[in-house]
Amino acid sequence: MDHDTRDMLLETAGRFFAERCGKEIVNGVEKGVWPADFWKEIEDMGLPLTAVPEDKGGVGGTLADLMAVLRLAGENAVPVPLAETALASLLIAAAGGTPGPGPAAIVLGNLSIDSGRLTGKVDRVPFASVADRFVAVANSGGKAIVAVVEKVNAKVTAAPSHAGEPYGTVAFDKAVCVFSGASAVSAARALEIAALARAMQMAGAADKVLATTVEYSKQRVQFGRSISTFQAIQHMLAELASYVAATIASAEAASRDADEGGLADGGSFSIAAAKTQASDLAQRICAISHQSMGAMGFTHEHILHHYTRRLWVWRRDFGSESFWGEKIGAAVAKAGPQALWPALTSSRYAA
Amino acid sequence: MTIPKLEFPPFHLPPEAEALRGEVRDFLKEVLPGLKSEDRFASWNTPSPQFSKALGKRGWLGITWPKQYGGGERSFLERYVVTEELLGNGAPAGAHWVADRQSGPLLLRFGSEAQRQAILPRIAAGECFFSIGMSEPDSGSDLASVRTRAEPVPGGFRVNGTKVWTSGAHRNHYCITLVRTSGQHGDRHKGLSQLLVDLKTPGITIRPIINLAGRHDWNEVTFSDCFIPEECLIGNEGDGWLQVTSELAFERSGPERFMQNYYVLGELVRILGRQPAGRAASILGRLVARLWTLRQMSVAVAGMMQGGKSPAIEASLVKDLGTIYQQDLPEIARVVAESDATTEEDMADFLDVAQYATMMAPSYTIQGGTTQVLRGIVARGLGLR
Repeated sequence: MDHDTRDMLLETAGRFFAERCGKEIVNGVEKGVWPADFWKEIEDMGLPLTAVPEDKGGVGGTLADLMAVLRLAGENAVPVPLAETALASLLIAAAGGTPGPGPAAIVLGNLSIDSGRLTGKVDRVPFASVADRFVAVANSGGKAIVAVVEKVNAKVTAAPSHAGEPYGTVAFDKAVCVFSGASAVSAARALEIAALARAMQMAGAADKVLATTVEYSKQRVQFGRSISTFQAIQHMLAELASYVAATIASAEAASRDADEGGLADGGSFSIAAAKTQASDLAQRICAISHQSMGAMGFTHEHILHHYTRRLWVWRRDFGSESFWGEKIGAAVAKAGPQALWPALTSSRYAA
Repeated sequence: MTIPKLEFPPFHLPPEAEALRGEVRDFLKEVLPGLKSEDRFASWNTPSPQFSKALGKRGWLGITWPKQYGGGERSFLERYVVTEELLGNGAPAGAHWVADRQSGPLLLRFGSEAQRQAILPRIAAGECFFSIGMSEPDSGSDLASVRTRAEPVPGGFRVNGTKVWTSGAHRNHYCITLVRTSGQHGDRHKGLSQLLVDLKTPGITIRPIINLAGRHDWNEVTFSDCFIPEECLIGNEGDGWLQVTSELAFERSGPERFMQNYYVLGELVRILGRQPAGRAASILGRLVARLWTLRQMSVAVAGMMQGGKSPAIEASLVKDLGTIYQQDLPEIARVVAESDATTEEDMADFLDVAQYATMMAPSYTIQGGTTQVLRGIVARGLGLR
């Protein structure tokens, strides 16, 4: 979509999230209350279909457009599977299908398809307990297949994340697929795109943590003056800002590279680096913000934990810093020291 | 409430800059093996006049300056590429670094026509090298407190005072020196000026200050009744603070703030071998991801500068992140190497590197603006002061 359309979409989505995604909704999800109206509004706005082509009933945006929406979702702790459903829709459309309504979870892991039936078990699937359907990228005779399974044909064991989101284990035993089609991307690539989505959500959440902490420090008065005037606090917040800026910069660069390089393999290295950085920096971001906000930020009443707990959980989603770091490190080692600098400057794995 | 946003919009170096990268790489492949470097791990503070001259011959110094002053009239982004290629390939770029980075641009912006004509073509040719005359024994981070005094006398100034940590003063030709030309010590930003000082001027004494690694980079430069002709005043008398601040922006924004000990990463890759254990690979990959991110941010800052913005806060933030990374690097690398080096011989070799890098590490967060000064600038950018 063109710049104006995109700006309009982002402005609308940002305002909508800020107005509608209040703490009642976020806390409600943690208590097991599915915000059906909120989800319906998200669907009415077409957000899960942001990167689905218009001829498939979508909005016709690019991958980068979707990622920009997801950064906003992260900035507002949107506690529904928008990222997951949007990626599922994108995968289905790219495999020749037409994505339907309802929340979806994406399932990536050791899965196989035989005679059109899906088998395998994956732990820690985000939003497994609230998904209407599961969208998997599975192997079938060396080919990647996008398979869609209705929730009645999957076995879900709830295991909420530490941020209170409805994660769980999903098992398929020769499950009937309501759709299957040749995938435009490999399972490994689907994981990369999912990791990019999380990195962008982390960028949004990190940004919100910074804004929340800076605002608090200006309002909180101790020893007769706002704590933002203390040099110790100023230096902590400057350090926090640097980690937040690095999280955002790496995710945005990866989003651009993924978009420009195409769905099949664009930005492969950049995504790995961005998710590694986002996951690596999350702890310092959380630690500094909590230290700055004292006991207030440690309460359930305050919204800070909506963001810090998500950052902690998202570190592991779709590959931790250890996972992606190992992928980068193994590639760098294999190519040898001379290949490192050219790889860094071209944002590509060394050949 | 909204807070000021510190954004680093992804920026692509343009095709002409990427084309230049190829030329620089070819040149370095040809030239570097033949150079006898005094340092095993050369960087932007390792001098080689011979190398600088060769670089000047290729037209890659003063690359953004007007052609009438020996420049190349190319973009700031092309300069960025030349700079980062020198760092990424371990070129001994120390002789010309300061002159090309900040002294030349300062003279171009504030210097007299005579100064520009006399100096800039020589810098661009890689034949004229500069030191920075800012810090004093009692003036480090608090630069406005300089005491070196330049008293107006007929035809020029009589200079008395001492500058310290003056890198390369024993080798270089000139030192742009921040002095008080009027007012009192307590006047702070008022009454400061910059002088173009020929380091061979009578009345100047240069003594080595050896750093903890045993290297002689620094000097103490003492002025006693040293006469500096009036045509050596840079810009207007009393504008020294404004000028020196603009110089600091050049000093802080470049890739040398995260690429200074890049060789450590290369050595780590070497000793881990082609198939390291998963844990070692993961730690290596996390370091690479960190460096990649720093580069993305630095390129974004270069893009802002090319676009006519003055990203002083963003540059400070990148220098802060970059120098902390440089301090972490030798330590993280050492710990991985302890468990994962492929051979004992490799390990011994690596320890030489790591120990040297560890000794140099404290300097990164001090030179060119301490971490604390930088965080003060970023805090101001956040609206906290």
